Amino acid sequence: MRRAWLHWMVIAAVGILGLAAGIYFGVERESPTPKPEPMAAAALNGLALPDAEGKEQRIDQWRGKVVIVNFWATWCAPCREEMPEFIKSQNELGPKGLQIVGIAVDQADKVRQFAAEIGLNYPALVGGFGAMELSRTLGNTVMALPFTVILDRKGAIAHTQLGVLKPDKLNAIVKQLL
Amino acid sequence: MASPNISTGSPAKRSHLDWVARALVGVGISMVLASGPSAADPKLLPPEQAFRFSARALNDRTLEARFAVADGYYLYREKLKFAVEPEIAGLAVPPLPPGKVKEDQFFGKVETYRGDVVVKLPLPMPAGGQSLVLTADSQGCADVGVCYPVNRQKVTLVLPATGKGPGAVVEAHPRKKSWFN
Repeated sequence: MRRAWLHWMVIAAVGILGLAAGIYFGVERESPTPKPEPMAAAALNGLALPDAEGKEQRIDQWRGKVVIVNFWATWCAPCREEMPEFIKSQNELGPKGLQIVGIAVDQADKVRQFAAEIGLNYPALVGGFGAMELSRTLGNTVMALPFTVILDRKGAIAHTQLGVLKPDKLNAIVKQLL
Repeated sequence: MASPNISTGSPAKRSHLDWVARALVGVGISMVLASGPSAADPKLLPPEQAFRFSARALNDRTLEARFAVADGYYLYREKLKFAVEPEIAGLAVPPLPPGKVKEDQFFGKVETYRGDVVVKLPLPMPAGGQSLVLTADSQGCADVGVCYPVNRQKVTLVLPATGKGPGAVVEAHPRKKSWFN
């Protein structure tokens, strides 16, 4: 009588716990968004690096735009593969205030050659180990590439991503910030 | 006459609760199942765990280097480099074992290694009793779509006396022993 009612309520309670556990573990298992250290945003904004022609470029020259900083290298196949989509995004959203900036953990001559081959339409800065170290403080704890940071128009970090940043995700994030 | 059906409270109310309970159970179970093998990337390993380096001395003049490449990762054959200190002139690195050929858009044909990679390194002369530091450079990627820069790992080996058998395996980054290992 009453037992049957209780029986079902217990099963329902288990079901709800299962739902809660599922949500908790489901969220946990999602690859977590890399978390920047406190001073990392300031360090990124204040960064100055030579471009592939040797001319020094400061990241803060693009303050007021939505800036996508993409750490990459010619020796990184997935990095090279995502760049044609970045070129498309720069064409499409550049007029609305998007600026993509590549930071290559690489040699200048290799960067120049690859940039020319793919028709790169955004700056390719050349960084060394220091650039890798900066990416670590931005949340790239395993120091792998590609690693991408999106800054809003005020220079605050809006998104970090380890691994390829797909166009639909890029568009979703950037359009909100533009 | 026995009445087989024993009714408990109002039948309409009871069946309502039944359905709510069953619905909750169903939703709960499906949420647990859905969250299980999630489409999200598994956690990425640091390079010294993805590409575990260890070595041992086989005898007084031969070293054996080993990479244990974790599942879902691979190394580039062309980027494997070895060196010893103190510098021994003419450390021979014999041709590396063949890897799996992959066509790379930019670099053309590349060879990769997965799983265990073992390389024998003969020394030009016996060095029984001597201590050497073996340095290995490797570069690899994860299948999920990231690549690591060249990673350097070192081990110190003491060569056994002439005529003696293999020395112990030395790991560059020993695993911490824990419940889960």
